[in-house]
Amino acid sequence: MGIAGKIIGVIMTGTGMVLLTLGMDPNIGILSWGYFIIGLFMMSLGMALITGGKSQQVKKPKPPTITEIRCDNTECTFKELRDFERGDYILKPLDVSCPRCGSTMTIQGIYIVRDESEEKIKI
Amino acid sequence: MGGVIVMQAVQTDPFSWIINLLFFAFIIIISLYGAKIQMWQWLKQIEVGLLELKQMFFESRQVAIDTFKRYGKDEKEVAKDLDRWLDYFTIMPVDLDPAGVLKRLDHLLDNRRNRFQEFVSDLAPQATESQVQSLENTLEVTQVLGLIFRIVRHFYILGKKTGSQILIMQIHMQMPDIMRLAKAYYEALDAFSEEKPIGDGIGPLVVTKFAHEMGATANDYVHEVTREVGYYKVKFENRDVFVLRATGPGGTVGKPGFAVKKIVEENNGQISRIITVDAALKLEGEELGRVSEGTGAAIGDPGPEKYAIEQTATDFNIGIEAIVIKEDEAAAIGVMPKQVLDALPEVIERIKEAILKRTKPGEKIILAGIGNTIGIGL
Repeated sequence: MGIAGKIIGVIMTGTGMVLLTLGMDPNIGILSWGYFIIGLFMMSLGMALITGGKSQQVKKPKPPTITEIRCDNTECTFKELRDFERGDYILKPLDVSCPRCGSTMTIQGIYIVRDESEEKIKI
Repeated sequence: MGGVIVMQAVQTDPFSWIINLLFFAFIIIISLYGAKIQMWQWLKQIEVGLLELKQMFFESRQVAIDTFKRYGKDEKEVAKDLDRWLDYFTIMPVDLDPAGVLKRLDHLLDNRRNRFQEFVSDLAPQATESQVQSLENTLEVTQVLGLIFRIVRHFYILGKKTGSQILIMQIHMQMPDIMRLAKAYYEALDAFSEEKPIGDGIGPLVVTKFAHEMGATANDYVHEVTREVGYYKVKFENRDVFVLRATGPGGTVGKPGFAVKKIVEENNGQISRIITVDAALKLEGEELGRVSEGTGAAIGDPGPEKYAIEQTATDFNIGIEAIVIKEDEAAAIGVMPKQVLDALPEVIERIKEAILKRTKPGEKIILAGIGNTIGIGL
């Protein structure tokens, strides 16, 4: 259900409410039944339009997979993060040298960062 | 009171009977057809889920075809063979006579695995051994999604045909859980088709990092102690540690239970402790990547592997303990989340603590990292 449907629903519900209120007035005689039934019908149709349809779930893009490369020299803290490439695996020795100390480098982690706020109920 | 009587007396509206009639009609319809209306509503909700399951299955099938066709066969051939394989089944052993049921189950699982490997090798002739293992995982995920779709569809159609309330109600009530599981598998497909490490692989990763910390390298790894399982032998505080894991970086769990048994027997039972490290399902509300420890064999196989560890530990009176990393289904079979990877230093500390506190210098220990080694090198 698009946004137009929701707007029509709101208008119909409002109109239905007015008609329903009119229908409750005993002074207008026989017309009150007509107003009452039509008002009730329009209100329920309007509410159905507002609440109907599948709620628009915004599809979140998949978090990117990150490859973490570290220098093999325990005294060097150089670390590089890049997007995952096919053929990467954890503990894969790489042919590149550390730009800081010149030692060999190894993939030490491949992971995704999950959004912590996904957990809605916190007790 | 008098006012009420007056009001009733003056109620002479000629249309009031319509309202009364509508009201009674409503009561009769609801009491006679209320259950039918509710069943119709449930069936509609099942249908929505079923369509989503169908879409997930079809998309996963396409991903599997695209992945397989990288290894030498064209799309048409791959699709034809894959469809034949998607409803491959395994008949569980008879358990009316439980004696030896695990041995029979192990035999069936080995046979199933052989057939899978044979099929994947035929369908992807250019794939390496490690790639064949990962392709098996991709195939299994597609199979699971197909199976979930077919089971839900079966109950949906059966419920519609028979009008059985209990059939429809059962499947309707289980739908949220089924959808959750299916979505976890669907999202895991990316990990398996691209050979990325999954959350379940944290066990092998932890023990490998432990072995590397103790100076071991990929060259020190002793291959094929049992099917697709090997170990590093390292020294830690004057203790010999057999660090056991499945051989990666292909997607396999191997047979670590039988490997534990074999190592214990080869050492004449002279093993003082068995420590297993594995991923475990977290309860809702628990923190992802939380580390817990306990007693027993942490291994989630259908039975034979766990039995092998427990029986060996009992026969040789070996202390047995487990360290687990808590994850949900999506994390366990999907790409490893950072929170799980971040648990690594704490697990290694707990392993060291367990060894130092509960073993003596000169003793031998088995440290087994249990889990799927996809994307985790030696």
